[in-house]
Amino acid sequence: MFRVMLYSQWKWCRLIVVLGSVAGFALPLVSVQGAARADSSPLQAGELLQAVQSWGTLYPVLAAALGLLVAIATWAPDHRGRHVHALSLPVPRWRYVLLRFSAGAVLLAAPILALSAGAVLATWSATIPAGLQGYPVALAIRFALAVLLAYAVFFAVSAGTARTAGIILAVIGSVILVQVVASVANVDFDLLGKLQVAVLNWPGPLAIFTGRWMLIDV
Amino acid sequence: MCLCLVTMIAAMAAGRLAGQSVERLQVRADSLLREWRRASALADMVDSLKHGRAAGGTDTISVGALRIVATPSPARLREAAARAWPVIDSLYGSEAQQLAQRPYLIAPYDPDTTSPKPMLRGAIQVPWDKDVASLAMLLLTNVPIGRPDRALQNWLGGSVLPIIHPLQARAAVYVQLVTAPSQAARSCFLGVIGDCRNALALSESPDPLQQWYPSTGERRALVFRSFAEYFGYSDHGAHKSGLQQCGAGSDAACTELLRSLPPGALPRPLTYDARAALVQVALRLGGRAAYHRLVATPGEPIADRLAGAAGVSGDSLVSLWRSEILAARPAPVTLPPWGPWAALGWTAVFAVCALRSSRWRAS
Repeated sequence: MFRVMLYSQWKWCRLIVVLGSVAGFALPLVSVQGAARADSSPLQAGELLQAVQSWGTLYPVLAAALGLLVAIATWAPDHRGRHVHALSLPVPRWRYVLLRFSAGAVLLAAPILALSAGAVLATWSATIPAGLQGYPVALAIRFALAVLLAYAVFFAVSAGTARTAGIILAVIGSVILVQVVASVANVDFDLLGKLQVAVLNWPGPLAIFTGRWMLIDV
Repeated sequence: MCLCLVTMIAAMAAGRLAGQSVERLQVRADSLLREWRRASALADMVDSLKHGRAAGGTDTISVGALRIVATPSPARLREAAARAWPVIDSLYGSEAQQLAQRPYLIAPYDPDTTSPKPMLRGAIQVPWDKDVASLAMLLLTNVPIGRPDRALQNWLGGSVLPIIHPLQARAAVYVQLVTAPSQAARSCFLGVIGDCRNALALSESPDPLQQWYPSTGERRALVFRSFAEYFGYSDHGAHKSGLQQCGAGSDAACTELLRSLPPGALPRPLTYDARAALVQVALRLGGRAAYHRLVATPGEPIADRLAGAAGVSGDSLVSLWRSEILAARPAPVTLPPWGPWAALGWTAVFAVCALRSSRWRAS
Protein backbone atom coordinates (compact mmCIF):
# COMPACT_ATOMS: atom_id res chain seq x y z
CA MET A 1 0.00 0.00 0.00
CA PHE A 2 2.87 2.31 0.83
CA ARG A 3 4.35 1.84 -2.65
CA VAL A 4 1.03 2.71 -4.27
CA MET A 5 0.68 5.77 -2.13
CA LEU A 6 4.30 6.76 -2.80
CA TYR A 7 3.75 6.44 -6.52
CA SER A 8 0.55 8.50 -6.44
CA GLN A 9 2.24 11.19 -4.39
CA TRP A 10 5.22 11.17 -6.72
CA LYS A 11 2.83 11.91 -9.59
CA TRP A 12 1.33 14.84 -7.70
CA CYS A 13 4.62 16.24 -6.37
CA ARG A 14 7.16 15.40 -9.03
CA LEU A 15 7.43 18.90 -10.42
CA ILE A 16 8.02 20.34 -6.95
CA VAL A 17 10.51 17.62 -6.07
CA VAL A 18 12.46 17.95 -9.33
CA LEU A 19 12.61 21.74 -9.16
CA GLY A 20 13.52 21.60 -5.47
CA SER A 21 16.28 19.10 -6.22
CA VAL A 22 17.71 21.30 -8.95
CA ALA A 23 17.59 24.34 -6.65
CA GLY A 24 19.11 22.37 -3.79
CA PHE A 25 21.95 21.14 -5.95
CA ALA A 26 22.63 24.55 -7.48
CA LEU A 27 22.46 26.69 -4.36
CA PRO A 28 25.74 25.59 -2.72
CA LEU A 29 27.54 25.78 -6.08
CA VAL A 30 26.27 29.28 -6.76
CA SER A 31 27.19 30.45 -3.26
CA VAL A 32 30.89 29.71 -3.82
CA GLN A 33 31.10 30.71 -7.47
CA GLY A 34 33.63 33.51 -6.75
CA ALA A 35 35.90 31.18 -4.81
CA ALA A 36 35.78 28.52 -7.48
CA ARG A 37 37.40 30.74 -10.10
CA ALA A 38 41.02 30.03 -10.93
CA ASP A 39 42.03 33.67 -10.44
CA SER A 40 40.38 34.01 -7.05
CA SER A 41 42.66 35.61 -4.50
CA PRO A 42 43.31 34.05 -1.13
CA LEU A 43 42.89 37.57 0.24
CA GLN A 44 39.18 37.42 -0.51
CA ALA A 45 38.24 35.37 2.51
CA GLY A 46 36.02 38.14 3.83
CA GLU A 47 34.16 38.43 0.55
CA LEU A 48 33.79 34.67 0.32
CA LEU A 49 32.27 34.51 3.80
CA GLN A 50 29.94 37.38 2.95
CA ALA A 51 28.80 35.70 -0.25
CA VAL A 52 28.28 32.36 1.47
CA GLN A 53 26.31 34.05 4.24
CA SER A 54 24.16 36.01 1.79
CA TRP A 55 23.31 32.95 -0.25
CA GLY A 56 22.83 31.05 3.01
CA THR A 57 19.59 32.89 3.67
CA LEU A 58 18.05 30.92 0.81
CA TYR A 59 18.56 27.49 2.45
CA PRO A 60 15.81 27.94 5.09
CA VAL A 61 13.59 29.57 2.47
CA LEU A 62 14.03 26.58 0.17
CA ALA A 63 13.43 24.17 3.04
CA ALA A 64 10.23 25.95 4.08
CA ALA A 65 8.99 26.20 0.49
CA LEU A 66 9.61 22.51 -0.15
CA GLY A 67 7.87 21.51 3.06
CA LEU A 68 4.90 23.74 2.31
CA LEU A 69 4.44 22.74 -1.32
CA VAL A 70 4.87 19.00 -0.78
CA ALA A 71 2.50 19.07 2.21
CA ILE A 72 -0.15 20.92 0.22
CA ALA A 73 0.31 18.66 -2.81
CA THR A 74 0.05 15.60 -0.57
CA TRP A 75 -3.39 16.53 0.73
CA ALA A 76 -4.79 18.42 -2.26
CA PRO A 77 -6.31 15.39 -4.10
CA ASP A 78 -7.92 14.15 -0.86
CA HIS A 79 -9.43 17.59 -0.25
CA ARG A 80 -10.69 17.77 -3.83
CA GLY A 81 -12.29 14.31 -3.57
CA ARG A 82 -13.74 15.15 -0.14
CA HIS A 83 -11.77 12.21 1.31
CA VAL A 84 -14.10 9.65 -0.25
CA HIS A 85 -11.18 7.53 -1.50
CA ALA A 86 -9.50 7.54 1.87
CA LEU A 87 -12.72 6.65 3.67
CA SER A 88 -13.27 3.75 1.26
CA LEU A 89 -9.93 2.16 2.18
CA PRO A 90 -9.91 -0.56 4.86
CA VAL A 91 -7.35 1.24 7.04
CA PRO A 92 -7.77 3.37 10.12
CA ARG A 93 -7.28 7.07 9.64
CA TRP A 94 -4.09 7.30 11.70
CA ARG A 95 -2.47 4.64 9.47
CA TYR A 96 -3.60 6.39 6.30
CA VAL A 97 -2.17 9.71 7.54
CA LEU A 98 1.04 8.03 8.59
CA LEU A 99 1.43 6.49 5.13
CA ARG A 100 0.79 9.85 3.49
CA PHE A 101 3.31 11.53 5.81
CA SER A 102 5.95 8.85 5.21
CA ALA A 103 5.48 8.95 1.45
CA GLY A 104 5.93 12.74 1.43
CA ALA A 105 8.99 12.46 3.64
CA VAL A 106 10.52 9.89 1.29
CA LEU A 107 9.91 12.16 -1.69
CA LEU A 108 11.65 15.01 0.14
CA ALA A 109 14.78 12.87 0.38
CA ALA A 110 15.52 13.74 -3.25
CA PRO A 111 16.10 17.49 -2.75
CA ILE A 112 17.97 16.77 0.49
CA LEU A 113 20.31 14.39 -1.31
CA ALA A 114 20.69 16.87 -4.16
CA LEU A 115 21.67 19.62 -1.74
CA SER A 116 24.13 17.29 0.00
CA ALA A 117 25.75 16.45 -3.33
CA GLY A 118 25.86 20.11 -4.33
CA ALA A 119 27.40 21.09 -1.00
CA VAL A 120 30.10 18.44 -1.21
CA LEU A 121 30.87 19.38 -4.81
CA ALA A 122 30.96 23.10 -4.02
CA THR A 123 33.31 22.61 -1.08
CA TRP A 124 35.56 20.39 -3.15
CA SER A 125 35.70 22.71 -6.14
CA ALA A 126 36.14 26.02 -4.30
CA THR A 127 39.51 27.53 -3.44
CA ILE A 128 39.00 27.87 0.28
CA PRO A 129 41.48 30.26 1.91
CA ALA A 130 43.51 28.99 4.86
CA GLY A 131 41.61 29.41 8.08
CA LEU A 132 38.24 28.69 6.50
CA GLN A 133 36.63 25.27 6.28
CA GLY A 134 33.73 23.71 4.45
CA TYR A 135 30.84 22.20 6.38
CA PRO A 136 28.81 20.34 3.73
CA VAL A 137 27.64 17.53 6.01
CA ALA A 138 26.49 19.86 8.80
CA LEU A 139 24.67 22.02 6.26
CA ALA A 140 22.99 19.01 4.65
CA ILE A 141 21.85 17.63 8.03
CA ARG A 142 20.45 21.00 9.02
CA PHE A 143 18.67 21.35 5.69
CA ALA A 144 17.18 17.87 6.05
CA LEU A 145 15.86 18.65 9.54
CA ALA A 146 14.45 21.99 8.39
CA VAL A 147 12.70 20.40 5.40
CA LEU A 148 11.19 17.67 7.57
CA LEU A 149 10.03 20.14 10.21
CA ALA A 150 8.47 22.49 7.65
CA TYR A 151 6.79 19.51 6.00
CA ALA A 152 5.42 18.31 9.36
CA VAL A 153 4.07 21.74 10.27
CA PHE A 154 2.31 22.30 6.95
CA PHE A 155 1.20 18.67 6.77
CA ALA A 156 -0.51 19.08 10.14
CA VAL A 157 -2.15 22.33 9.06
CA SER A 158 -3.30 20.79 5.75
CA ALA A 159 -4.63 17.72 7.51
CA GLY A 160 -6.76 19.83 9.80
CA THR A 161 -10.25 21.16 9.19
CA ALA A 162 -11.21 24.70 8.36
CA ARG A 163 -12.24 24.98 12.00
CA THR A 164 -8.72 24.08 13.14
CA ALA A 165 -7.25 26.63 10.77
CA GLY A 166 -9.73 29.18 12.12
CA ILE A 167 -8.68 28.44 15.69
CA ILE A 168 -5.01 28.85 14.79
CA LEU A 169 -5.71 32.13 13.02
CA ALA A 170 -7.85 33.32 15.94
CA VAL A 171 -5.06 32.59 18.40
CA ILE A 172 -2.55 34.49 16.27
CA GLY A 173 -4.99 37.38 15.86
CA SER A 174 -5.65 37.47 19.62
CA VAL A 175 -1.94 37.71 20.38
CA ILE A 176 -1.59 40.61 17.95
CA LEU A 177 -4.69 42.29 19.37
CA VAL A 178 -3.42 41.96 22.95
CA GLN A 179 -0.10 43.45 21.89
CA VAL A 180 -1.78 46.36 20.14
CA VAL A 181 -4.04 47.06 23.12
CA ALA A 182 -1.05 46.90 25.47
CA SER A 183 0.84 49.37 23.28
CA VAL A 184 -2.12 51.75 23.14
CA ALA A 185 -2.55 51.54 26.92
CA ASN A 186 1.19 52.23 27.29
CA VAL A 187 1.63 48.99 29.21
CA ASP A 188 5.13 47.56 29.15
CA PHE A 189 4.12 44.11 27.91
CA ASP A 190 6.07 42.63 25.00
CA LEU A 191 4.05 39.52 24.24
CA LEU A 192 5.12 39.29 20.60
CA GLY A 193 8.79 39.61 21.54
CA LYS A 194 8.48 36.85 24.12
CA LEU A 195 6.66 34.60 21.66
CA GLN A 196 9.27 35.28 19.02
CA VAL A 197 12.03 34.29 21.44
CA ALA A 198 10.13 31.15 22.44
CA VAL A 199 9.48 30.08 18.86
CA LEU A 200 12.70 31.09 17.13
CA ASN A 201 15.28 30.30 19.82
CA TRP A 202 16.37 26.84 20.89
CA PRO A 203 14.57 24.66 21.79
CA GLY A 204 11.71 26.44 20.02
CA PRO A 205 10.01 24.72 17.08
CA LEU A 206 11.39 27.03 14.39
CA ALA A 207 14.90 27.50 15.82
CA ILE A 208 16.33 25.23 13.14
CA PHE A 209 15.51 27.89 10.54
CA THR A 210 17.26 30.76 12.32
CA GLY A 211 20.93 31.67 12.55
CA ARG A 212 23.56 31.64 9.84
CA TRP A 213 23.54 28.86 7.28
CA MET A 214 27.20 28.64 6.32
CA LEU A 215 28.62 26.17 3.85
CA ILE A 216 32.05 27.68 4.51
CA ASP A 217 33.03 29.23 7.82
CA VAL A 218 36.04 29.71 10.11
CA MET B 1 58.46 137.73 32.50
CA CYS B 2 55.31 137.04 30.63
CA LEU B 3 56.81 133.86 29.26
CA CYS B 4 57.76 132.74 32.78
CA LEU B 5 54.21 133.36 34.03
CA VAL B 6 52.66 131.42 31.20
CA THR B 7 55.05 128.53 31.79
CA MET B 8 54.29 128.52 35.52
CA ILE B 9 50.53 128.52 34.95
CA ALA B 10 50.82 125.71 32.41
CA ALA B 11 52.95 123.65 34.81
CA MET B 12 50.47 124.14 37.67
CA ALA B 13 47.54 123.21 35.46
CA ALA B 14 49.28 120.06 34.25
CA GLY B 15 50.17 119.05 37.81
CA ARG B 16 46.59 119.57 38.94
CA LEU B 17 45.23 117.57 36.01
CA ALA B 18 47.69 114.76 36.67
CA GLY B 19 46.82 114.81 40.34
CA GLN B 20 43.11 114.61 39.58
CA SER B 21 43.64 111.60 37.22
CA VAL B 22 45.66 109.64 39.79
CA GLU B 23 43.10 110.33 42.48
CA ARG B 24 40.23 109.28 40.29
CA LEU B 25 42.06 106.17 39.28
CA GLN B 26 42.87 105.44 42.90
CA VAL B 27 39.19 105.81 43.81
CA ARG B 28 38.17 103.55 40.97
CA ALA B 29 40.75 100.96 41.90
CA ASP B 30 39.62 101.02 45.49
CA SER B 31 36.04 100.63 44.40
CA LEU B 32 36.96 97.74 42.18
CA LEU B 33 38.91 96.12 44.99
CA ARG B 34 35.91 96.38 47.27
CA GLU B 35 33.67 94.86 44.64
CA TRP B 36 36.16 92.10 43.97
CA ARG B 37 36.47 91.34 47.69
CA ARG B 38 32.68 91.27 48.02
CA ALA B 39 32.32 88.98 44.99
CA SER B 40 35.12 86.82 46.25
CA ALA B 41 33.46 86.49 49.62
CA LEU B 42 30.19 85.55 47.95
CA ALA B 43 31.92 82.99 45.72
CA ASP B 44 33.71 81.52 48.72
CA MET B 45 30.40 81.25 50.52
CA VAL B 46 28.77 79.55 47.55
CA ASP B 47 31.72 77.19 47.19
CA SER B 48 31.69 76.48 50.86
CA LEU B 49 27.97 75.73 50.80
CA LYS B 50 28.34 73.56 47.73
CA HIS B 51 31.29 71.72 49.21
CA GLY B 52 29.47 71.21 52.46
CA ARG B 53 26.43 69.88 50.68
CA ALA B 54 28.51 67.60 48.45
CA ALA B 55 30.55 66.31 51.35
CA GLY B 56 27.42 65.59 53.30
CA GLY B 57 25.64 64.04 50.29
CA THR B 58 28.12 61.52 48.98
CA ASP B 59 29.20 58.04 49.97
CA THR B 60 32.68 56.72 49.46
CA ILE B 61 32.98 53.04 48.59
CA SER B 62 36.37 51.37 48.90
CA VAL B 63 37.29 47.98 47.52
CA GLY B 64 41.04 47.40 47.39
CA ALA B 65 42.49 50.63 46.09
CA LEU B 66 39.36 51.31 44.11
CA ARG B 67 37.37 54.30 45.37
CA ILE B 68 33.90 55.33 44.32
CA VAL B 69 32.44 58.64 45.40
CA ALA B 70 28.74 58.41 44.74
CA THR B 71 25.57 60.19 45.71
CA PRO B 72 23.52 58.06 48.10
CA SER B 73 21.31 55.55 46.29
CA PRO B 74 20.35 51.87 46.35
CA ALA B 75 22.71 51.19 43.40
CA ARG B 76 24.73 48.05 44.01
CA LEU B 77 28.05 49.78 43.50
CA ARG B 78 29.93 47.94 46.23
CA GLU B 79 29.15 44.54 44.70
CA ALA B 80 30.09 45.88 41.28
CA ALA B 81 33.34 47.23 42.67
CA ALA B 82 34.07 43.88 44.30
CA ARG B 83 33.71 42.27 40.87
CA ALA B 84 35.69 44.90 39.03
CA TRP B 85 38.59 45.31 41.40
CA PRO B 86 40.29 41.90 40.85
CA VAL B 87 40.19 42.50 37.08
CA ILE B 88 41.61 46.00 37.42
CA ASP B 89 44.23 44.87 39.93
CA SER B 90 45.36 41.98 37.75
CA LEU B 91 45.69 44.26 34.71
CA TYR B 92 47.44 47.29 36.18
CA GLY B 93 49.20 45.51 39.05
CA SER B 94 51.07 47.93 41.29
CA GLU B 95 49.85 50.89 39.25
CA ALA B 96 46.29 50.11 40.31
CA GLN B 97 47.14 51.76 43.64
CA GLN B 98 46.79 55.06 41.77
CA LEU B 99 43.05 54.57 42.02
CA ALA B 100 43.13 55.35 45.74
CA GLN B 101 43.86 58.94 44.68
CA ARG B 102 41.65 58.92 41.58
CA PRO B 103 38.14 57.96 42.61
CA TYR B 104 35.25 57.22 40.29
CA LEU B 105 32.56 59.87 40.59
CA ILE B 106 29.18 58.26 40.10
CA ALA B 107 25.77 59.85 40.43
CA PRO B 108 23.08 57.15 40.33
CA TYR B 109 19.65 58.52 39.56
CA ASP B 110 16.13 57.27 39.97
CA PRO B 111 15.06 55.74 36.65
CA ASP B 112 11.34 55.71 37.39
CA THR B 113 10.61 59.30 38.31
CA THR B 114 11.10 62.67 36.72
CA SER B 115 12.84 63.96 39.83
CA PRO B 116 15.97 65.99 39.06
CA LYS B 117 19.15 64.03 38.64
CA PRO B 118 21.75 64.48 41.38
CA MET B 119 24.44 67.03 40.52
CA LEU B 120 28.00 65.90 41.00
CA ARG B 121 30.38 67.63 38.64
CA GLY B 122 32.17 65.22 36.28
CA ALA B 123 30.22 62.25 37.62
CA ILE B 124 29.04 59.28 35.58
CA GLN B 125 25.27 59.26 35.69
CA VAL B 126 23.68 55.87 35.83
CA PRO B 127 20.21 54.60 36.77
CA TRP B 128 20.43 53.03 40.20
CA ASP B 129 18.49 49.93 39.19
CA LYS B 130 21.26 48.71 36.87
CA ASP B 131 22.32 45.16 37.63
CA VAL B 132 25.69 44.37 39.18
CA ALA B 133 27.17 43.02 35.94
CA SER B 134 26.33 46.22 34.07
CA LEU B 135 27.74 48.36 36.86
CA ALA B 136 30.91 46.26 36.96
CA MET B 137 31.23 46.69 33.21
CA LEU B 138 30.78 50.44 33.65
CA LEU B 139 33.61 50.46 36.18
CA LEU B 140 35.85 48.40 33.93
CA THR B 141 35.32 50.57 30.88
CA ASN B 142 35.89 53.83 32.78
CA VAL B 143 38.92 53.06 34.94
CA PRO B 144 40.18 56.48 36.07
CA ILE B 145 43.82 55.48 35.88
CA GLY B 146 46.40 57.92 34.53
CA ARG B 147 46.47 57.88 30.74
CA PRO B 148 49.61 56.40 29.20
CA ASP B 149 51.85 58.40 26.89
CA ARG B 150 50.66 59.48 23.47
CA ALA B 151 52.89 57.01 21.60
CA LEU B 152 51.33 54.03 23.34
CA GLN B 153 47.82 55.40 22.90
CA ASN B 154 48.42 56.10 19.22
CA TRP B 155 49.74 52.63 18.61
CA LEU B 156 47.02 50.92 20.58
CA GLY B 157 44.23 53.16 19.33
CA GLY B 158 43.05 54.07 22.82
CA SER B 159 43.84 53.51 26.48
CA VAL B 160 44.86 50.26 28.08
CA LEU B 161 41.59 48.96 29.50
CA PRO B 162 40.45 45.57 30.77
CA ILE B 163 38.95 43.39 28.07
CA ILE B 164 35.40 42.66 29.16
CA HIS B 165 34.92 39.41 27.23
CA PRO B 166 38.43 38.13 26.50
CA LEU B 167 37.40 34.90 24.80
CA GLN B 168 35.03 36.62 22.40
CA ALA B 169 37.60 39.34 21.74
CA ARG B 170 40.24 36.76 20.85
CA ALA B 171 37.75 34.92 18.65
CA ALA B 172 37.08 38.19 16.83
CA VAL B 173 40.82 38.62 16.28
CA TYR B 174 40.97 35.07 14.90
CA VAL B 175 38.33 36.02 12.34
CA GLN B 176 40.31 39.15 11.51
CA LEU B 177 43.47 37.13 10.93
CA VAL B 178 41.58 34.87 8.56
CA THR B 179 39.57 37.48 6.71
CA ALA B 180 41.63 40.70 6.81
CA PRO B 181 42.53 41.77 3.27
CA SER B 182 46.20 41.96 4.19
CA GLN B 183 49.01 39.58 3.34
CA ALA B 184 50.65 40.40 6.66
CA ALA B 185 47.60 39.23 8.62
CA ARG B 186 47.26 36.06 6.58
CA SER B 187 50.95 35.22 6.86
CA CYS B 188 50.68 35.79 10.58
CA PHE B 189 47.82 33.32 10.68
CA LEU B 190 50.01 30.85 8.81
CA GLY B 191 52.80 31.26 11.35
CA VAL B 192 55.22 33.93 10.09
CA ILE B 193 56.00 35.83 13.28
CA GLY B 194 57.65 38.71 11.42
CA ASP B 195 54.39 39.30 9.61
CA CYS B 196 52.53 39.18 12.91
CA ARG B 197 54.74 42.09 13.99
CA ASN B 198 53.84 43.90 10.78
CA ALA B 199 50.15 43.18 11.17
CA LEU B 200 50.29 44.44 14.74
CA ALA B 201 52.11 47.58 13.55
CA LEU B 202 55.02 46.78 15.86
CA SER B 203 57.76 47.13 13.27
CA GLU B 204 58.64 50.78 13.12
CA SER B 205 58.93 51.45 9.43
CA PRO B 206 59.07 54.76 7.58
CA ASP B 207 56.75 53.25 5.00
CA PRO B 208 53.86 51.47 6.71
CA LEU B 209 51.98 51.19 3.41
CA GLN B 210 54.54 48.76 1.98
CA GLN B 211 54.77 46.95 5.26
CA TRP B 212 51.07 46.48 5.88
CA TYR B 213 49.88 46.12 2.28
CA PRO B 214 52.83 44.80 0.28
CA SER B 215 51.00 43.54 -2.78
CA THR B 216 49.36 45.43 -5.62
CA GLY B 217 46.04 43.69 -5.12
CA GLU B 218 45.90 44.66 -1.47
CA ARG B 219 46.55 48.31 -2.22
CA ARG B 220 43.95 48.42 -4.95
CA ALA B 221 41.43 46.64 -2.74
CA LEU B 222 42.17 49.07 0.08
CA VAL B 223 41.60 52.09 -2.17
CA PHE B 224 38.29 50.81 -3.47
CA ARG B 225 36.97 49.22 -0.30
CA SER B 226 37.84 51.95 2.16
CA PHE B 227 38.52 55.16 0.30
CA ALA B 228 36.67 55.10 -3.03
CA GLU B 229 34.18 57.72 -1.89
CA TYR B 230 36.85 59.83 -0.20
CA PHE B 231 39.06 59.95 -3.26
CA GLY B 232 36.10 60.41 -5.56
CA TYR B 233 34.79 63.52 -3.85
CA SER B 234 37.57 65.05 -1.71
CA ASP B 235 39.31 68.20 -2.93
CA HIS B 236 36.55 68.77 -5.49
CA GLY B 237 37.37 65.52 -7.23
CA ALA B 238 41.11 66.21 -7.57
CA HIS B 239 41.88 62.51 -7.03
CA LYS B 240 39.30 61.23 -9.49
CA SER B 241 41.74 60.62 -12.30
CA GLY B 242 44.10 58.83 -9.91
CA LEU B 243 41.21 56.70 -8.76
CA GLN B 244 40.37 55.78 -12.34
CA GLN B 245 43.99 54.89 -13.08
CA CYS B 246 44.13 52.80 -9.91
CA GLY B 247 40.97 51.01 -10.99
CA ALA B 248 42.50 50.43 -14.41
CA GLY B 249 45.41 48.59 -12.79
CA SER B 250 48.03 51.26 -12.14
CA ASP B 251 49.72 50.34 -8.88
CA ALA B 252 51.62 53.64 -8.89
CA ALA B 253 48.30 55.50 -8.88
CA CYS B 254 46.94 53.37 -6.03
CA THR B 255 50.12 53.87 -4.02
CA GLU B 256 50.10 57.62 -4.66
CA LEU B 257 46.48 57.87 -3.55
CA LEU B 258 47.16 55.96 -0.35
CA ARG B 259 50.25 58.04 0.38
CA SER B 260 48.16 61.21 0.01
CA LEU B 261 46.03 60.21 2.98
CA PRO B 262 46.40 62.30 6.13
CA PRO B 263 48.84 60.89 8.71
CA GLY B 264 47.31 58.07 10.68
CA ALA B 265 44.44 57.55 8.25
CA LEU B 266 45.91 54.42 6.67
CA PRO B 267 44.01 51.55 8.29
CA ARG B 268 46.13 49.00 10.08
CA PRO B 269 45.66 45.37 9.11
CA LEU B 270 44.32 44.46 12.55
CA THR B 271 42.08 46.43 14.87
CA TYR B 272 42.34 47.62 18.48
CA ASP B 273 41.18 44.22 19.73
CA ALA B 274 44.28 42.51 18.34
CA ARG B 275 46.72 45.01 19.84
CA ALA B 276 44.81 45.11 23.14
CA ALA B 277 45.07 41.31 23.30
CA LEU B 278 48.83 41.60 22.81
CA VAL B 279 49.07 44.17 25.63
CA GLN B 280 47.06 41.88 27.89
CA VAL B 281 49.39 38.98 27.16
CA ALA B 282 52.41 41.18 27.93
CA LEU B 283 50.91 42.44 31.19
CA ARG B 284 49.93 38.94 32.26
CA LEU B 285 53.41 37.59 31.59
CA GLY B 286 55.15 40.49 33.27
CA GLY B 287 53.49 40.26 36.64
CA ARG B 288 52.37 43.07 38.89
CA ALA B 289 55.01 45.56 37.79
CA ALA B 290 54.38 44.98 34.08
CA TYR B 291 52.09 47.95 33.53
CA HIS B 292 54.47 50.21 35.41
CA ARG B 293 57.33 49.08 33.17
CA LEU B 294 55.18 49.56 30.09
CA VAL B 295 54.31 53.18 30.84
CA ALA B 296 57.66 54.07 32.38
CA THR B 297 59.61 54.13 29.11
CA PRO B 298 57.65 56.38 26.78
CA GLY B 299 60.57 57.10 24.45
CA GLU B 300 61.29 53.51 23.43
CA PRO B 301 59.76 51.64 20.49
CA ILE B 302 56.46 49.97 21.35
CA ALA B 303 57.79 46.48 20.62
CA ASP B 304 60.63 46.97 23.10
CA ARG B 305 58.30 48.41 25.70
CA LEU B 306 55.94 45.45 25.41
CA ALA B 307 58.83 43.00 25.56
CA GLY B 308 60.22 44.84 28.60
CA ALA B 309 56.84 44.78 30.29
CA ALA B 310 56.39 41.07 29.58
CA GLY B 311 59.94 40.17 30.49
CA VAL B 312 60.34 38.02 27.37
CA SER B 313 61.63 38.68 23.88
CA GLY B 314 59.40 40.45 21.41
CA ASP B 315 59.13 37.40 19.17
CA SER B 316 58.20 35.14 22.08
CA LEU B 317 55.53 37.58 23.12
CA VAL B 318 54.06 37.80 19.62
CA SER B 319 54.29 34.05 19.23
CA LEU B 320 52.38 33.51 22.47
CA TRP B 321 49.79 36.07 21.38
CA ARG B 322 49.35 34.23 18.09
CA SER B 323 48.93 30.85 19.75
CA GLU B 324 46.31 32.28 22.13
CA ILE B 325 44.43 33.79 19.22
CA LEU B 326 44.51 30.53 17.27
CA ALA B 327 43.32 28.66 20.36
CA ALA B 328 40.29 30.96 20.52
CA ARG B 329 38.98 29.87 17.13
CA PRO B 330 35.25 30.57 17.21
CA ALA B 331 32.92 27.64 16.90
CA PRO B 332 31.38 27.50 13.44
CA VAL B 333 27.67 28.02 13.25
CA THR B 334 26.25 24.57 13.67
CA LEU B 335 23.43 23.13 15.66
CA PRO B 336 23.71 22.61 19.41
CA PRO B 337 24.36 18.95 20.27
CA TRP B 338 20.72 18.38 21.13
CA GLY B 339 19.48 20.55 18.25
CA PRO B 340 18.76 17.68 15.85
CA TRP B 341 16.81 15.84 18.55
CA ALA B 342 14.79 18.97 19.31
CA ALA B 343 13.99 19.40 15.61
CA LEU B 344 13.02 15.74 15.25
CA GLY B 345 10.92 16.03 18.39
CA TRP B 346 9.00 18.99 17.00
CA THR B 347 8.57 17.13 13.71
CA ALA B 348 7.06 14.22 15.62
CA VAL B 349 4.79 16.58 17.59
CA PHE B 350 3.39 18.13 14.41
CA ALA B 351 3.04 14.72 12.77
CA VAL B 352 1.03 13.49 15.77
CA CYS B 353 -1.14 16.61 15.49
CA ALA B 354 -1.90 15.58 11.91
CA LEU B 355 -2.71 12.01 12.99
CA ARG B 356 -5.17 13.30 15.55
CA SER B 357 -6.90 15.74 13.23
CA SER B 358 -10.68 15.84 13.44
CA ARG B 359 -11.36 15.87 9.69
CA TRP B 360 -12.87 12.40 9.55
CA ARG B 361 -14.85 12.57 12.74
CA ALA B 362 -18.59 12.63 12.48
CA SER B 363 -19.88 15.98 13.60
